[in-house]
This record gives sequence, structure tokens and C-alpha cells, in this order.
Amino acid sequence: MKMSRDRRGHALLELAVSAAVMVSCLAGTVEFGYTFYIYNELVTAVGNGGRYAAMRTYRSAAPADIEKGKAAIRNMVVYGDARPAPGTLPQVANLSPEQVQVEWVTDDSGGPAAVNVAIGDYTVDAVFGIFRFTGRPAVEFPFVGRFAPAESEP
Amino acid sequence: MRVRRHKKDAGFVLIAMSVALVLLLAVMGMSFDFGRIYIARNEAQVFTDAASMAAAAKLDGTDAGLDRARQAVARLPMRWNLGTKSFTGVVVEFSPDKQSWARVTAPDNQVEITFLRAVGGPDVFTVPAHSVAAAKPVRLVE
Repeated sequence: MKMSRDRRGHALLELAVSAAVMVSCLAGTVEFGYTFYIYNELVTAVGNGGRYAAMRTYRSAAPADIEKGKAAIRNMVVYGDARPAPGTLPQVANLSPEQVQVEWVTDDSGGPAAVNVAIGDYTVDAVFGIFRFTGRPAVEFPFVGRFAPAESEP
Repeated sequence: MRVRRHKKDAGFVLIAMSVALVLLLAVMGMSFDFGRIYIARNEAQVFTDAASMAAAAKLDGTDAGLDRARQAVARLPMRWNLGTKSFTGVVVEFSPDKQSWARVTAPDNQVEITFLRAVGGPDVFTVPAHSVAAAKPVRLVE
């Protein structure tokens, strides 16, 4: 039996209305779900990098040694490895060491007291929308490693 | 000829849509609310990890050391709920000898539920976390 023109119109209208609701709900679910997944990965990465920085030997014979140490911490956040092999993929999609901020908090004697590790600027492209994280997630870990002011980074 | 909708058909789409919408809300809730819960859980765990290390590093067997440990935990600037809320009600405990270990518990992190509440879920979900750290930690050689 064929549908009448009237009924076909109704069905089309219902489909249009329900599809609009369903697709927008689906888009929202994908957008937020993926963004939350990425944020959770960033929290884990920053936490691991912070813990590594806290336990690492702090060498500060020259300013370049401090920078080398920071580069190792950034690599730990991004690749899960202080000295990644060439071609290693980041643990979080599109994250690069330049997007990670590492700042040492020094005590009165100039030695390291704590370390701040944060994601400086990261954009999540979640298909239906774009989210930008600046300065978060951020962690602060106390320094519990060895302080070696006369040593140089290998 | 104009064919009218059968009486049995009338309102079917409305009922089907309502059922589908409830299911959709549940799926959205799983994605949105569980996503936030997992993030809060992770943020709280990273905080208690850092806080227990900060507390344990101050221990020296004296009561003054315990005070310094509590202050070190209170000073930590870390936040949760996508980096927007401070941790409250944080409990710091120590080994009986006041110098071996510190344990930090963040018990009050209540995530407000948005979608699952509409399909019978709770209003808030608490995600506690706790960590223990030794006063003499393992140090990395590198």
C-alpha cells in the first residue's frame, strides 16, 4: 500500500524534528566525551611529569643545566620518557613539549623547593567543537630528589 | 483521496521519541557525568600523591614537623573539577613515630551530576582519594 502525500509529509517532518534533536545530542556527547577523555589524559601526563621532576636530581652548575632538566621533564610529560627515541609518538594527541610549562619554586638558599608543571596552551579538536586549555591541568610537587648545585646534566 | 492516520498510529512517534530521549539522556549522562567523575578522581589522586610527598618531606619526629607537614599540604595550589575548585576537608595523618610516613585523604570531592540525575541517578557523586608517602623516598639516579 502506498502512503498518501499527506502521510509522507508527516513522516518527513517527524524525521526532521527527531533527527535534529538526536544529532545535536550525539554531537554534544561526542564533543564532551572526547574532550573529557583528553583532559583526563593530560591530568595523568602532568601528574607523572610532576612526580618525575620531584624525584629527579636537580643539577644547576649552569643555567643551561636547569634548562636541560626542564626539557627532560617536558619530555616525560609528553612522551612518558625523559629521552625519547626519534619518532616517539606523544601520549596525548598533538601534545608537544613546547606546550608544557615547568617552573621551579626555589627556597631561601636558592635550592629547589617545589616544581610546578602545567599545560600552557592546548587545543582539543573534538570534531563538533574546539576547546582550549590554558594553564591547566596544573600540578605542584615538592622537591624530594637530590640537589646537586655543582653538577652538570649529562 | 486524503487518508487519515489510523487511530492506533496516533501518538506513537511521541511515545517512541520519549523512550528514545530517556535512553539518549542515559547515554549522554554516561559520557558527560562519568567523564567528569573520572577526571575528578584522577585530579584528586594526583593531589593526594603530591600532598603526601609534601607532608612526608617535612617529618622529623617532632610535633613542629607535623605542623610544617600540615602547612605544606594546605599551601599546595592544586585544584579539581577541571581545575576550578580547591580541595576541602583534607585529612593528614602520620605514622605513630612522627617520622616514617604521611597519609593524605581528600574525602569531600563531590561531583554534581548533570544528566544522570534526570534518569534516576544521584544529585552528587563523591570521589575520594588517598595516598601514603614515605619520609625517605626513593630517588631517581638520573
